[in-house]
Amino acid sequence: MKVSLFSTCLSDILFADVAKNTLEILERVGCEVDYPMEQTCCGQPAYNSGYLQEAKQSMKQMMKAFKHSEYVVGPSGSCVGMLKEYPKIFADDPEWAEEAKRFAAKCYEITEFLVDVMGVTDVGSTFKGKVTFHSSCHMKRILGVKEQPKTLLRNVKGVELVDLPMEEDCCGFGGTFSVKNPVISQEMVSEKSRHVAETEAEYLVGADMGCLMNIGGRMRREGKNVKVVHITEILNTH
Amino acid sequence: MSIKLGEVPYKDRVQTGIEDDFMRQAVSSAQGRFRNGRLTQAAELGNWEDWRELGSEIRTHTLQNLDYYLKQLSDNVARRGGHVFFAETAEEANQYVKNIIKKKQAKKVVKAKSMVTEEIGLNKALEEVGAEVVESDLGEWILQLDEDPPSHIVTPALHKNRQQIRETFAKKKGYTGSDTPEEMAAFAREQLRQDFLAADVGVTGCNFAIAESGAVTLVTNEGNAEMVTSLPDTVISVMGMERIVPTWEEMEVLVGLLTRAAVGQKLTSYITAITGARLEGEIDGPEEFHLVVVDNGRSKILGTEFQSALHCIRCAACINACPVYRHIGGHAYNSIYPGPIGAVITPLLEGYDDHKELPYASTLCAACTEACPVKIPLHEHLIRHRQIIVEQEKKAPTAEKLMMKGFAKWSSSPAIYNLSAKMAKPALGPWTKDGMIENGPGPLKDWTGARDFYAPQGQSFRAWFKQRQKDGETS
Amino acid sequence: MTIENREEFLNKLASRLGRERRTEGVERPQWSVTPQEEVFKGMNQDELAEVLEKHCQVIHTTFKRTDRAGLTQVLRETIEGYEGKLIVTSNDPRHQEYGVAEFFEEAREQLDVHVWDPAAGKENQRIAEKADVGLVYSDITLAESGTVTLFNNKNNGRSISLLPKTFIAIIPKSTLVPRMTQAAQQIHRAQAQGEDCASYVSFISGPSNSADIEMNLIVGVHGPIKATYILVD
Repeated sequence: MKVSLFSTCLSDILFADVAKNTLEILERVGCEVDYPMEQTCCGQPAYNSGYLQEAKQSMKQMMKAFKHSEYVVGPSGSCVGMLKEYPKIFADDPEWAEEAKRFAAKCYEITEFLVDVMGVTDVGSTFKGKVTFHSSCHMKRILGVKEQPKTLLRNVKGVELVDLPMEEDCCGFGGTFSVKNPVISQEMVSEKSRHVAETEAEYLVGADMGCLMNIGGRMRREGKNVKVVHITEILNTH
Repeated sequence: MSIKLGEVPYKDRVQTGIEDDFMRQAVSSAQGRFRNGRLTQAAELGNWEDWRELGSEIRTHTLQNLDYYLKQLSDNVARRGGHVFFAETAEEANQYVKNIIKKKQAKKVVKAKSMVTEEIGLNKALEEVGAEVVESDLGEWILQLDEDPPSHIVTPALHKNRQQIRETFAKKKGYTGSDTPEEMAAFAREQLRQDFLAADVGVTGCNFAIAESGAVTLVTNEGNAEMVTSLPDTVISVMGMERIVPTWEEMEVLVGLLTRAAVGQKLTSYITAITGARLEGEIDGPEEFHLVVVDNGRSKILGTEFQSALHCIRCAACINACPVYRHIGGHAYNSIYPGPIGAVITPLLEGYDDHKELPYASTLCAACTEACPVKIPLHEHLIRHRQIIVEQEKKAPTAEKLMMKGFAKWSSSPAIYNLSAKMAKPALGPWTKDGMIENGPGPLKDWTGARDFYAPQGQSFRAWFKQRQKDGETS
Repeated sequence: MTIENREEFLNKLASRLGRERRTEGVERPQWSVTPQEEVFKGMNQDELAEVLEKHCQVIHTTFKRTDRAGLTQVLRETIEGYEGKLIVTSNDPRHQEYGVAEFFEEAREQLDVHVWDPAAGKENQRIAEKADVGLVYSDITLAESGTVTLFNNKNNGRSISLLPKTFIAIIPKSTLVPRMTQAAQQIHRAQAQGEDCASYVSFISGPSNSADIEMNLIVGVHGPIKATYILVD
């Protein structure tokens, strides 16, 4: 199985471990993984803020970078969700409409890929700890990946998974929302942080670094002792 | 009154909302209740997605043939002894109703809850011609006495606590009882009963007009719409032009979706369909029935990419799902229509000048889209608004525009991107302590106002990958 | 009666929709799903009665079940339970059929029963306003939502189920249907064949209520404060 890794710009530049772990997981389950160096950003920051032309430049670069890939797999529900929107965004563009459809059809989020494509629900990892899972909005509602992360987590030896109250509620990041509406964003992330604390979990797990850096950054500011970890770390710990 | 509530700037409205502890607690609690209600009903039906799909198809077909169904509706209302007035603007609608009041020399007008009459400012118009207007929905009556606008489409007085309500009753109506809800409701019943019986004219909104019969369907729990349509001799129903269904069969589907999605009930206590004037020999019901069909900007939405926003059945499921609404409350939206649906239709009905912040008051979490019983893609409409604000209205902040131009260059040029990957850690070095940034520069400043920022840890992923390839490593 | 400003208004809509006006020939499409037809499909009257009984608890409505023979006794008890002295009721042939008219006759010392009378004009409303009990027969009964359907007319005033303090509905078991779908179908089919619907159709599910004060549910706001359904086999 030949897979191209989509690191996401966030992981590439700020959280390299996430992409590293993703790569290693894919190799462990038998994939041959390459990393097209021409990849940059899915375009979400510009697209969600209403900058369609700027976003499209990003998106064309991405389609170019992955032109020859069979599968494009990345560790972010919101970024992969964005890739899946390309067909709609380029629907009226005769030059890119077909390519966008072809491209979107081969894009997967990592847990989605493992469970739905590779048929793997147990990656054979071990991670001791009480964890609670935040399901990111874009992954759940826009990409439609709901159960796969928990399915994988439940099979990790040593993991005690506790439910997060109002798990499906937004953490308040929303990309530029966190800086355009900082007051509201702060209220939302504080509420999320309160819910995390209620679970008494040692680890907050998620499949989206955007959410995790938002909630994690807030919890640290509040002096909370909860460690924030991307699901790929748990799935790659032995 | 317009759709806009007042002149307070967005930032201040948000701050006021955030500081109102009671309102936030009330909203949070109500949201939880309504949401659980909707989810419980959906689970009980077992095939909620089919219901949503059906709801969406019904609304799509109806809107696509709106002129046909409005003609059929008006023909039938007229045939059943009613008068129909098509009002393009709020002013025209108000003038028509004022004329009826004047002709009837009506002193007292009793109203059932109607969002569209708030939108067009009908109450004020009626007061101008000397009528006393009494809201009969308990929540609306409380707000009317208090001169406060609604903060929620279904439970408009959500932001009021019982002490505030008691004070309002005492000050405005001489109430001397306690602040227990039961006692206050009993007082409202007694007071409003007098108004129902003495009213010259009844005014209602319209949940769903039924084209095939000329019927107006009203949905309440209190029974106030029933009072308003049974006792006065003249009844005027005001409807947003899109609030229509082809037949009784579509009415019942949408009513069931409305009551479940709005308040988690299978049906509300009263669903009534009034058709025209009372028949010969009938005692209850009006001698004279009027239907006022209101456009007020809705036709601007018809035929555009936003047309699905007119599918709205005013259930407030989106409002009940919205985390932003939970924290800032309804008044912060500064519109008769708050929450996600408000953020979508307010700029369409009133323009972007006064409402350009609304489409951005969202993280695009899509909880609204997921909740909507007729599948309006609310968050997608918000993105489209943002595109229009940036590209057509040209109302985006300059600094942001420049930043996005920079983003485009960076993300379409691997060379520039690669450079940024190399430079990120050293560039942020001066602000980094223990791997975290607590007080960041430039765009990071707003972020670090509330939370720490994770500084780049070491190499970028691509640098690591390049190295790994060079070393000939595989797992 | 009159219709004003219609042509200009509707012409604008058609133009916004990018086409000519449609004045005929619009048919509803075949909807891709019809979940409403599946609810309680195939249930018999007794099963629907069970559904109704269960749902009455949710809508704060007392449910009683009896047969024709026992009806007047149950009715008497219910009225007594509501301390009912003044009753307003519809002018319904079923009063005779079910022996209720006889019961009114017998109880005329204790109960003041006003049967809705078109000739009495607004006096009907005044009596309803003072009445302790409003009594009707359900025309169609929706099991799923515990709903009594009334086709109001000159013999069955809207006020009867609205103004009195309490509400009693006699529900012949044969009137039970799964949900509003069946009632809507009936009205639609009749309308489509030229049989106009009643000037008022009331779908009533228990007593009135409101949660407008701090989301506290209060039963009995503008309409009746208490309700009882008497299902008759």
